[in-house]
Amino acid sequence: MNLLTIDKLTAGYGKLTILHDLSLKVEKGQYLGILGPNGSGKSTLVKSIFGLTDIFSGSIKISGQELVGVATENICKRGLAYVPQRQNIFATMTVRDNLLLAVRHLRRPKAHRALQDAYALFPILAERQQQSAGLMSGGERQMLAIALAWLGKPQIMLLDEPSAGLSPLFVIEIFKLLRRLCESGITLVVVEQNARSLLRWCDYAYVLREGKLAFEGSSSQILADEETVKSYLGVGGTAFSQRIAE
Amino acid sequence: MPTVLLIDSLVRSLQVGSLYALMALGLTLTLAVVKLPNFAHAELITLGAYVALVASFWGLNNLLAMLVLCFIVTAAVAVLSYKAVYKPLERRKPSIYTMILASFALGLILRYVLFLLVDRFDFFDKRIKIPLEIWYQSKTMILTNIFFWVVPTSLILIILLSLLLNYTNLGREMRALADNRALARVQGVQVERVYYFTWILAGGLAGVAGALWGIYTSINPLTGWLAILSVFAATVLGGMTSFVGTILGAYVVGLSENFVMQLLNHYLGLDFSFKPAIPFIIIILVLLFRPQGLTGFMDGFRTRAIRRQTNP
Repeated sequence: MNLLTIDKLTAGYGKLTILHDLSLKVEKGQYLGILGPNGSGKSTLVKSIFGLTDIFSGSIKISGQELVGVATENICKRGLAYVPQRQNIFATMTVRDNLLLAVRHLRRPKAHRALQDAYALFPILAERQQQSAGLMSGGERQMLAIALAWLGKPQIMLLDEPSAGLSPLFVIEIFKLLRRLCESGITLVVVEQNARSLLRWCDYAYVLREGKLAFEGSSSQILADEETVKSYLGVGGTAFSQRIAE
Repeated sequence: MPTVLLIDSLVRSLQVGSLYALMALGLTLTLAVVKLPNFAHAELITLGAYVALVASFWGLNNLLAMLVLCFIVTAAVAVLSYKAVYKPLERRKPSIYTMILASFALGLILRYVLFLLVDRFDFFDKRIKIPLEIWYQSKTMILTNIFFWVVPTSLILIILLSLLLNYTNLGREMRALADNRALARVQGVQVERVYYFTWILAGGLAGVAGALWGIYTSINPLTGWLAILSVFAATVLGGMTSFVGTILGAYVVGLSENFVMQLLNHYLGLDFSFKPAIPFIIIILVLLFRPQGLTGFMDGFRTRAIRRQTNP
């Protein structure tokens, strides 16, 4: 069953068009990767879903309901959550206040329980509760950003380069955590430049190039079929295909 | 220097500092949450003072009722100015300069409407009709009922506001918007609704501050405009968007204008007519040497302390 359907989406910023006629679908429970070189429109795609770009044509539907034209602040009510790549936490607030903001719609006992669940899933946040979020390390910030999205109890979570700028150990930590979230029933859409490490974890991937769909397939297919990927991305022409080939 | 003068200037510093804090908190709130340096804040202060004045001439002499009335009227005017001017402007995605000019224009319009009304009904340089009583007297200090109204009321409102900002969902939403607008929207914060509450709080506090100012000294349509320079100094001193910093900044400005001025007058013979220059000197010095303001300094201190804890 398709949870999220994107149909012939053309989007960009102002007069600049970045995505051209892009169509893709996300099935319920899937762990989906969006791959591609720099400037291929991966981030623009997830931003478009959250109404943060200018959409020129096409449609984005979640469980059959149209999302194009819905204001950003109302999208989380439709069961979506988004973890931006940068500035994805409230840096001047404490960790606890960040989390309390995410559970503000719940009644007090329920909010308290949600917070305890979050601390169980992200133990580092329990230790840092009273600390100003801006003073945490990159990996800890990323944990907090994911926790903020997770606390909204989304059906589907969109993550923009969750591994960017993290140490290899933390990258593995984050991907393990995402796998666990997926197993708990949350559909994941993860944008990554770090293709090789993501393909080890996700089920299915779309490869974008210049705002168009270049290739799609299950992660084992993509990993096995290096030549196809190379030909789609241009032989050795991009950092991405080099990384695949490594 | 005679002790009487010394203590008197400290009392005045505390009184004026509390009022500056009330005015500056509203200014910081709009600056941080709505991202607008609202120069028309000055006229909300004047308006509050005049609402209290007119109410007292009509026979309202319950101070609490008077303050509530001022809060309501100025909050309504603040909300209206957002709805009529800033919100339609915002849709055109203006630069910050456009918004500053718009707030200046709105302030001027309000100020001269007030001038016309004040002229028509002859309300120039009047004091709000609250009988002056001496509540405490000793050899060195005289405290009037006004002091006991102004200082505790301001402190209570400051405490209430900081409780609201720190421990309620609305407060967290305001801080989230001030911190990272895009992320706040992604988290489902209803921007419009939070803006309205911000204007109500900022406008209402300005009105109450204006009314208390009018009890303390005589008022005219320029009252708010003359105070706003000191208030901006407090905001700049607080680092523009920090609430704790703003409160500290307000008391520092209050002290400089009264206590430090008294010292300068007594020891260097500096004339009191230099007093209005003090906020400008503070603004220039802070922008030159500590643009991050007072709390920026405290944050740095805290970061170092935490670093010392984590890597001993």
